[in-house]
Amino acid sequence: MSPHPRSRPHSRLAALAAAALALVLVSGCSSAVDELSKASAEPQQGGTLRVGTTADVVPANTFTNSSDTGDLLVGAVYDTLIDYPLDSLEPEPRLATSWEFNPDGTELTLQLRDDVTFHSGRAFTSKDVEASIKTWADPLWTVQLQRTAAGVTGFDTSDEHAITLTFDHPMSNVLDLLDMMPIIDAESLDDVRSGKTWIGTGPFAFESWQPGSQLTLVANEDYWDGAPLLDGVDIKVIPDPQAQVAQLRSGQLDMTSSASKRDIESLSEDDRFSVQEWKGAEAQLYIGANVENKALRDVRVRQAVAYALDRDRIVEEVLRGSGRAITLPWPEYSPAYDADADATYSYDLQKAAALVEEVSAEGGEVPTLPLTYPSGSPDYDAVAQIVQSDLAEIGITVELQPVEQAEAIKRLIGGEFEGLWLLQHSYAQFNPSTLTVSAYPFNADKNTSGYLDPDYQKAAETAWEKKPDEVTEEDYAALNQQLLDGSFLLEIALIYSQSVTSSQVGGLELSKRNEFDLSDAYLAE
Amino acid sequence: MTRYLITRVSSALLVLLIASIGIFALLRVVPGDPVEILAGPDSTPDSRAAIRAELGLDQPFFTQYVRWLGDLVTFDLGPSYQLGGSVADLVVAGALNTIVLTLTALLIAAVGALVASTLTVVLDKPWLNNLLAASNTMAVAVPTFATALVLVLLFAVQNPMLPAGGTPPDGFIARPDITVQYLLLPAIALALPAWAALTRFLTESLHSQLRQPYVTTARALGISRRRIVLTQALRNALPSSVTILGLQFGTLLGGAILVEAVFAWPGLGRLIEQGIAARDYPVVQVLLLLSVVVFVLTQLTTDLIHAWLDPRVRLQGVS
Repeated sequence: MSPHPRSRPHSRLAALAAAALALVLVSGCSSAVDELSKASAEPQQGGTLRVGTTADVVPANTFTNSSDTGDLLVGAVYDTLIDYPLDSLEPEPRLATSWEFNPDGTELTLQLRDDVTFHSGRAFTSKDVEASIKTWADPLWTVQLQRTAAGVTGFDTSDEHAITLTFDHPMSNVLDLLDMMPIIDAESLDDVRSGKTWIGTGPFAFESWQPGSQLTLVANEDYWDGAPLLDGVDIKVIPDPQAQVAQLRSGQLDMTSSASKRDIESLSEDDRFSVQEWKGAEAQLYIGANVENKALRDVRVRQAVAYALDRDRIVEEVLRGSGRAITLPWPEYSPAYDADADATYSYDLQKAAALVEEVSAEGGEVPTLPLTYPSGSPDYDAVAQIVQSDLAEIGITVELQPVEQAEAIKRLIGGEFEGLWLLQHSYAQFNPSTLTVSAYPFNADKNTSGYLDPDYQKAAETAWEKKPDEVTEEDYAALNQQLLDGSFLLEIALIYSQSVTSSQVGGLELSKRNEFDLSDAYLAE
Repeated sequence: MTRYLITRVSSALLVLLIASIGIFALLRVVPGDPVEILAGPDSTPDSRAAIRAELGLDQPFFTQYVRWLGDLVTFDLGPSYQLGGSVADLVVAGALNTIVLTLTALLIAAVGALVASTLTVVLDKPWLNNLLAASNTMAVAVPTFATALVLVLLFAVQNPMLPAGGTPPDGFIARPDITVQYLLLPAIALALPAWAALTRFLTESLHSQLRQPYVTTARALGISRRRIVLTQALRNALPSSVTILGLQFGTLLGGAILVEAVFAWPGLGRLIEQGIAARDYPVVQVLLLLSVVVFVLTQLTTDLIHAWLDPRVRLQGVS
């Protein structure tokens, strides 16, 4: 090819270089980072709280506490009839101002506030309580305590500001239902299921939702308990917890509750952030045992596993101290809590080894036990390895079987775990019956372990079918004894909820439902 | 040509039909049930049955497939099971974000390669050649996700100059100056391997041009090396580099999945990852089929152009 006589490559190349340079220098116009950070020190009215979450809300699962976005949404948009403080099970008024049981516990009459409106402007009445309970009882919504909601068989809504609920039999956990169940606007229920809108009576109103990306809430200026200080809340879906921490550090987020224990430890040493630890909305880390497994059929093997678990090591190394070793699921404020019973299977390798030897001496050799757990979680990986090493000490070989979360749920529901499994459960922060009636691993009539014992069923039923204040210490002691004797679920640790905020965030509260209460939250100036 | 066109379009449609059956069946044999994920571990059999019926998953396999095919033909992709919203909205939003990120990375790679190659060849300094070679090796050898994490650490966490991730709060158009800052880190992380490949190719092309007779003639006429490179060699070396640039686009789309994860960039990569994890059949089916459609359409277009240009091809194709 011959040389081109005239061209202007210099200017073209210069233009390209200039364009590249402009890409960088355009930052000079204004800084995205500066616009995101708010240098503040005093509480102020206004501002938008930006919260990072790992999982978006699934509209059909709005009320199942199955995603952190859903929990934030429900906690901000809806109100409940009553509210438990974090550290007790003594209910406090919310939309219900007072409540009273009839003598045999088959009726509950609630007086309701008369100054509450939905975000749509419609007044809240006793009909909405009835509609909410019926929604809760509908299998389609798959909510916790569906069985309790279905136990409400009569509704007297003749008074707009009072309702009488009738039950077939007393239910000791009916107040848990009233604490957990948000008051739903029945008129827009179909729109909730399709993700068009969420209408409640809470401190924030739903504004917009970009699936998989962001959900926006705005302050409800007419909130019956006083308008919130914040103008709004932006919930940003960021599936990777480390990406959330990076955005928190760079000022793009004000809050996350998804950071790993190690990241929380590191952030707690930085003055720009504050770490909150919430006791009262705990989850429990546990090992389940399939009692139909040849080796695990013998309760002594299950008890040996319980004795061999070095729970304190797991609390220190994996949970970084944000938890407590347990052998029963109950937190200290639970009516079923018993410190002595909770220490039943404290770490004791000698006892564990003796039990295994006893089984072996009778010809019942313990084969390799599979331990299934959800993959992709460093915490589960670490706990599983500690369990494997603990059980090796007493001569039990454990084969680790990480599976996808979806597969873990399938096996949990179907009772398809071969041997041991490692998971978390919740609901022990409520009345004990909520756990034994509603949480599937504990369900006395049908559970993942395949553990069906008439004494356990009787103990669970006795603790449930009574008025809340009539369940006795003996009832709970019997329930605890059944759980310990059966050893089909081996508790490891209570895990305390933790959140990290920028130091400008204040007034944050958490409910026992693990939903943040942002009605008094503020961003400092 | 018409017969050839009918033959090729028919075979393309057959491929798409077979792919749709394969995708539909494959998802259903993978362990994990969307109903059980939706219902949760504490759900009752009644709840699971109600949800299964609502989603139409209680119908026979063939009925479900035919309904899905009917929906596809009418462009009704339906709602997502798990991620919320309509599948069409999710795919369009994700595709837009991925394309913006990928095109920005392509621009950075192209401009960066042009500047680096031209400078190296014009200046012809051994230290600069070695520096570029080392940079190229690093850019190719270090995994994209590692580069992304280092960039976040350096420019967003340790020295908060740029956002650590996410998309511009007001969209891409409203504030171009803010948009650029959001795009810079993820696009650079994504662009580096492509930049390395392009730089090597362009540098080699320029060196090859400098060995051509017309350059010897130009040098004999006293024209400087710099001027020869900028006015002639570069112009001759660029066309073949454009082909490489096109090939890099596909690679960038693949790399975007990892970069989107690190930078919380809500694109197609993140969407398919979420869809698979949640067994969200409608979302995953559409995304997998979309990739097959793109592939088949590309092949079909190439074949038709080829046949149009070369009669022998279409005659062979028909026979």
